[in-house]
Amino acid sequence: MIATRTSRPPLWRDVRVLKWAFQLAVLVAAVALVYVLVINVNRNSERLNIPTDFGYLDNPSQFPIPDSDFRQTQPVRDAVGQGLINTVRVSVAGMVLATILGTLVGVARLSTNWLVRSAATAFVETIRNIPLLLIVIFSYGSLAITTFPRIDEAWEPGGVAILSNRGVYVPALEEAPPFLGVVAVALLAAWAVSRWRREVADRTGTPSHGGLLATATAAAVLIAGWFAVGAAFDVPVLEGRIASGGLRISPELFAIGFALVIYTASHIAEIVRGSIQAVASGQGEAAWALALSPIHRLRDVILPQAFRIAIPPLGNQYLNLTKNSTLGAVVSYYELAQVTSISVGNGAPAVPAYLLTLGIFLVLSLVISALVNVANRRAAVVTR
Amino acid sequence: MGRIRTFAALGAATALLLGACTGDDDDASDTTEQAGGGTDTTAASGGEPAADDTLAAVQNAGVVRCGTRDDLPGFATLDASGEYVGFDSDFCRVIAAAVLGDADAVEMVALETDDRFTALQSGEIDVLVRNTTWTATRDGTEGATFLMPTFYDGQGMMVASDSGITDLDGLAGQVVCVAGGTTTEGNVATEFTRLGLAAPEVLSFESVDLLQQAFEEDRCDGWSSDRSQLTGLRSAFPAGPEALTILEEVFSKEPLAPAVRDGDAAWAQAVEWAIAVTILAEELGVDSTNVQEQLASTDPNVGRLLGVAVDGAVLDPGLGLAPDFALQVITQVGNYGEIYDRNITPLGLERGLNDLWTNGGLIYAPPYR
Amino acid sequence: MTPARIWLRRNLFRTRFDSAVTVAVGLLVAYTLFRLVRFVLVTGRWEVVRVNLKLLLVGRYPNVHLPRVAVALVVAAAVGGVVAGMVRRHQAAAGTAEHRSQGLGRRAAGLLGRFWPVLVGIGLLLGLSGTAGPWLTAVGFIGAAVAGRIAGEHLPARLDPLLILVALATPFGLVAYVADGAGWEDWGGVLLNVFLALASMVLCFPLGVLAALGRRSTLPIVRGLSTIYIELLRGMPLFVLLLMANVALGFFVPPDLSPGKVVRAIVVFTLFTGAYLAEIVRGGLQSLPPGQEEAAKALGMSPVSTTFLIVLPQALRNVIPAQVGQLISLFKDTTLAGAAMGLFDLLDVGQVITRQGDFAGQRLTPEAYAFVALLFWLGSYTMSRESQRIERKLGVGER
Repeated sequence: MIATRTSRPPLWRDVRVLKWAFQLAVLVAAVALVYVLVINVNRNSERLNIPTDFGYLDNPSQFPIPDSDFRQTQPVRDAVGQGLINTVRVSVAGMVLATILGTLVGVARLSTNWLVRSAATAFVETIRNIPLLLIVIFSYGSLAITTFPRIDEAWEPGGVAILSNRGVYVPALEEAPPFLGVVAVALLAAWAVSRWRREVADRTGTPSHGGLLATATAAAVLIAGWFAVGAAFDVPVLEGRIASGGLRISPELFAIGFALVIYTASHIAEIVRGSIQAVASGQGEAAWALALSPIHRLRDVILPQAFRIAIPPLGNQYLNLTKNSTLGAVVSYYELAQVTSISVGNGAPAVPAYLLTLGIFLVLSLVISALVNVANRRAAVVTR
Repeated sequence: MGRIRTFAALGAATALLLGACTGDDDDASDTTEQAGGGTDTTAASGGEPAADDTLAAVQNAGVVRCGTRDDLPGFATLDASGEYVGFDSDFCRVIAAAVLGDADAVEMVALETDDRFTALQSGEIDVLVRNTTWTATRDGTEGATFLMPTFYDGQGMMVASDSGITDLDGLAGQVVCVAGGTTTEGNVATEFTRLGLAAPEVLSFESVDLLQQAFEEDRCDGWSSDRSQLTGLRSAFPAGPEALTILEEVFSKEPLAPAVRDGDAAWAQAVEWAIAVTILAEELGVDSTNVQEQLASTDPNVGRLLGVAVDGAVLDPGLGLAPDFALQVITQVGNYGEIYDRNITPLGLERGLNDLWTNGGLIYAPPYR
Repeated sequence: MTPARIWLRRNLFRTRFDSAVTVAVGLLVAYTLFRLVRFVLVTGRWEVVRVNLKLLLVGRYPNVHLPRVAVALVVAAAVGGVVAGMVRRHQAAAGTAEHRSQGLGRRAAGLLGRFWPVLVGIGLLLGLSGTAGPWLTAVGFIGAAVAGRIAGEHLPARLDPLLILVALATPFGLVAYVADGAGWEDWGGVLLNVFLALASMVLCFPLGVLAALGRRSTLPIVRGLSTIYIELLRGMPLFVLLLMANVALGFFVPPDLSPGKVVRAIVVFTLFTGAYLAEIVRGGLQSLPPGQEEAAKALGMSPVSTTFLIVLPQALRNVIPAQVGQLISLFKDTTLAGAAMGLFDLLDVGQVITRQGDFAGQRLTPEAYAFVALLFWLGSYTMSRESQRIERKLGVGER
């Protein structure tokens, strides 16, 4: 190697300088853009005497929110909180139900039964290709408020529930926290029993009946705990045209929930199908050779491996579901977008209100992504 | 990890931005203290469309852009051939006839409720004639100047006739549906609180279609909106207007008036007088059928109004309009009574407050002299 | 056992449980199909769709200028056909063309299998319409597509750059031509949805590609800004962004700029889709073997040349299916613009026609929504099948 003195190229050709100059220019442009936007917002707001800060959050909201204790005299910040709770409520329920339904349909798409396979394919291909908003509106106008009778002729099965087009009321637990403790104890007991039976089965080779005994234990604890804690049901009552008490599923919640579940389930079905097909076929064949029944083969061998592959795209679908829950505003379900829209209509300044809502959704997305990453890492195959 | 870092940086940036915004709060409160200063800053900022020259701009362009809607029977709907029909639509034509001499030189811009003031502020429309209520807050914060009300309305409640509900008491704790985007929810809540009634469950829909479906399916007991809107909706109700009852209670004052942008006095006056002459015409008994004969009337008021030379002199009050603008308005569109009868009377809404002051109503125009 | 019985045995009645499932599902499916067919053919009152076909397809576009839309469709079909022919010619030269030696009959059957949803849609619309105009347009559309395809295949290769230029300029020209009859603020129905989707897709391309390249850049500030843009827009719900654009976009621009609603919607869709496209392109960039870039460097190509001549074409080609998927999503999401901003899109038209004077109160919403759903389904399904076909041809995921 001949050692040469590296001569510095002139500044205007030096790559390092150019890199930093370019970055500086980009940064200046970006900052200038943000600056111009902020200046415009401020100037336009001043011109119209509209505030640009978040002081409006302390004003009374002036609208009530159904299915909650929220009164219209409470400040807007409480309304936003309640909206967030409703968003989380419908999103979490939606994720759980969509995953269950999606997995069932995804497995059905790979069934050996032609009819089941075709029905599942038809379901997926139909729902996936129509807009979610259409499903939401249809669920409300033609399902939620027409399936059950009007409140004057509401069904009251067994006297413990009320089914009408103003909502489905079912008995709910009064004083939930103590009974939740009972539930926790029951689950622990069931887990302990199943562990014990499994050890016994490993040691002695006799059937463990783990599932059966665990369920029996849990049931026993629940019943004993019920009486010990003195829990009671809050049974819904129908007086004239007003129903109260119990747990209520409003038609609005049903519409957005149903639409979200079947729409997301059709996407999840495709993901599950793809990930099952991605599991090496040797696994299925080995399970077959070991004389595992089809259900066991699916449940114990294929699905666990398939889910590992499916976690990132599933996470994506969960994010989409959470963001799609904003369509609840179209059917007057009081989730975050509806609360924001009504506050703005009743006098809150538009720019801060919507920026706040968008910020909250960003945080929600971050939380869900983080959880999915944790699940992904835990499920990842540990390689040497 | 990358996302967490991203959002940390984002949070810092947002905090800085918010800090800058709240810093401006002091400036904003200074501006509000200068009462008349609002107009000065707008003219000085220079970022506005030539606010003072809307009249000239409209006359140059040869068309008035009128902000309206297309879905309110009686006020503004589209008929089968795509023409705008209604009370507000006719007043758009009144303005066009007055300013440009041609009632059809108007471009109707259908707007959503959320959008109406934005469109006015941004210059997308020249005048907003869209059953909009004149309130202090709107005068102050929406950059709009309201003119003489064309329709005195109020928020009311509509129920099914066979529901047995005769007043607001019957709706305590029940379900009320409203159309979102305005202060209707707030008014309902306020009224129920004022009367000491249990708050109803309020459902707020963006689209009137879903609202109507919910109401028809008995999801809601009451439908609250401006009484004029309720009347229009009732007239078009599929089961027939008798199936619905509008309750007596009126729980807010809703004077519906056209609006123009702030800081444009010449245009505001031109539009205001275009409206006023329709009222004056009805007061004087001049309508589209007899206006030609009225040209030869011996009543000097009529002559002045129609721009006839009285004793050799034609009145030009310096509004920037043609001397016979009232004649054009009455000939091409009609007087207030005709506009009302054509559009509102078929819905079954009596003149009531909207009758001439000589008949005990509130419709009164300043004299044209 | 006859082949039919074998098939039945294997696919429907394999085990006792299987048979039970077949019976149960079979009953359910039969009932659903029966109700569906009865709805479509017997009880459905399709007058509301028949009468309002024009509103559903083009909204309030002035009748006198409707021929412009027809002409635009025919021209688009012709240009599309020519491009398809050109692609086919290149495939033939590269030896990857399918069915080269098949007879016309089999090729026609293949095309039918590919495009049957579109043909069904056209047939349905023609069946519902009463005038001659749609028939002429349909004939012109199909004829132009076929003629263009044949022409494109036989044109000399040196005209290719010119053809590409024409193909790129045609959409803009057609939009300007149709907008000449009535500005896009007055468009509605399917026309508006398709316009929103295509305009946003075209405009978001530079944005998405730049953001993707920026995210992979070694320059920290550029990478940071790209990441912020992508993560911000992917974390926000599109519906809320549209609601915000409806009431608050005016605050972000100086007062003399008054963007119409359609422009505002396109801005939001572009920003939103750009972020998703950036992630898709980033995936494509990552799928490229590093050897490509290294070889380009060894040849002394500048970074810019490498990116635009070597890396991007391959990366974009690899993710065509994902891009089509994004276009399908965008097409369905254009309905949100109708709900959030009051644009007269297809779904909004479907709701409005059920409240017209002649049809109000007759509970015609199932018919209207079914027709709207069908139109969306036809478009999305065709695009999704085409993308699966391209995926198979490219051999994506089969390495």
